Amino acid sequence: MKTFMFSLDTALKSLWQEKWINFLTILSVATGLLILSIFSVISLNADAVVKRWASEFGMIIYLDDSADRTTEERLQREFTNDPDIAQVKFISKNEAMKDLQNTLGENSSILEHVDENPLPASFEISFKNKNLDSLYVKKKTALIEKMSGVTDIQYAEKWLSSLSIVSALLKAGVIILGSAIVIAIVFITYNTIKIFFYRRRSEIETLKLLGATRTFIRLPFLLEAIFIGMAAGLLSAAALFGIHFFVTNKLPNFLPAVSMLKIILPAVVYLILPLAGAAVSFTGSFIAVGKIRY
Amino acid sequence: MIRFSNVTKQYDNDVVLKNLSLNVDKGEMVYLTGPSGAGKSTLLKLIYCAERPDIGQITVANWDIGKIKQSTIPFLRRNVGIVFQDFRLLENKTVFENIALALRIHNLNTQTIREQVNAVLREVKLSQKAKTYPPHLSGGEQQRVVIARAMVSKPTVLLADEPTGNLDDDTSNSIIALFREINARGTTVVIATHNHELYHGTGRRVLHLNNKNIEQESIG
Ligand SMILES: Nc1ncnc2c1ncn2[C@@H]1O[C@H](COP(=O)(O)OP(=O)(O)OP(=O)(O)O)[C@@H](O)[C@H]1O
Ligand SMILES: [Mg+2]
Repeated sequence: MKTFMFSLDTALKSLWQEKWINFLTILSVATGLLILSIFSVISLNADAVVKRWASEFGMIIYLDDSADRTTEERLQREFTNDPDIAQVKFISKNEAMKDLQNTLGENSSILEHVDENPLPASFEISFKNKNLDSLYVKKKTALIEKMSGVTDIQYAEKWLSSLSIVSALLKAGVIILGSAIVIAIVFITYNTIKIFFYRRRSEIETLKLLGATRTFIRLPFLLEAIFIGMAAGLLSAAALFGIHFFVTNKLPNFLPAVSMLKIILPAVVYLILPLAGAAVSFTGSFIAVGKIRY
Repeated sequence: MIRFSNVTKQYDNDVVLKNLSLNVDKGEMVYLTGPSGAGKSTLLKLIYCAERPDIGQITVANWDIGKIKQSTIPFLRRNVGIVFQDFRLLENKTVFENIALALRIHNLNTQTIREQVNAVLREVKLSQKAKTYPPHLSGGEQQRVVIARAMVSKPTVLLADEPTGNLDDDTSNSIIALFREINARGTTVVIATHNHELYHGTGRRVLHLNNKNIEQESIG
């Protein structure tokens, strides 16, 4: 415990004495963490958008003209009981016609010459969010298509699959970029701590000769790295908060379309950033102080 | 307390000590002398494990230096107070902090450290310089700080490498008196010096190092 307090004291003194190099290290690490968190947020949101849009598009199932009340009711029951389906809405031939008339508005007069209603009855269904990947939707479509009374199915397949690909690519990109940034941060803190270690090598040699344990020698460096990482994490969290605030509260004044994006940014990110910063920079410093030999 | 059996030590291909044996009993005060470059410092370094013997066996207290584990070395060194020939004071720490460091390593609390450091500062007559940084001290003052640091943790063995090299006769005598006092408390003391004034008339054992071995042993 006393060793810990002494190491803490040494680490804090060194933080101050080497404030410029520490400041630059914190800045570099914070930049890395900020880039990483921005990309993670983008990827997270892209994923959410894909799911939201897909569920809003849902799927339209057109019924055979010959389908009678019982068929309609049977399908309705089946869809309602399907655990994967979130919502079911039946649109009868008449309702479909009304919708069309409403859509056409004053141009609806062209419909006056149509004697028999040519529009099919349909079901609009939407899926539970968690199930929405394009493979799953394809499978489900094939199953529904085989049901009797169903003629055709329309859904945003192209959209869905290309969006899923974009989202998957983003995720892969974030993982690659993330690993690169983590390695870069490890390297940056490794370098900084190595420099400190090198500058204090004669002091360390003396400490060894006086009987200091490895922990006693290493701890100040490790603590300093943890402070650097944490400070960088806090800095990047503050920057992220600022950017988020700007995008949600200020940017819509110039770019109203932005307000349509409902940005998801879990608050836990602000906690993860300092912790991740500390952990990664601890790793770098741990490698830097290396194995101490007497 | 300290025992060398047929120890050979060489740097690269330069043999410094050859087939050397010696024995220092617990509570003894021994002088080690010899011309410059004879290997006095090397012999002391072998005791605190800063150098390893190439051949032979060394035991210090109950540790076999040849078999000691890396992680045990700090605990050996905590029992050995060293007055380094090149001082090894930390320039960016005050006299007080330099001495306190030897106790911080022992994980003592702040209050105990303060008391013990102040006591030892009085013994070496440097109480007024507690807050000074080593570069602002005279050579003799620096030497006394090193001595204070070596004795503050009350080691079982005290090794002093040329401890009076920078001191006038009066101060030298008071330092030797200090070593005698430490020795009287039960600490084993080994003093390396080429100043024969230091051991003359002390009645202690004097080991004469020359030609890679202890050529002669006398009583001072
Ligand atoms: N680290 C080293 N590498 C190579 N040679 C060394 C090393 N340390 C000492 N030597 C050599 O070993 C010999 C003994 O050196 P040592 O320092 O033990 O002598 P000494 O008796 O303490 O001398 P002095 O009275 O001048 O302090 C010298 O010739 C020196 O050049
Ligand atoms: Mg020497």
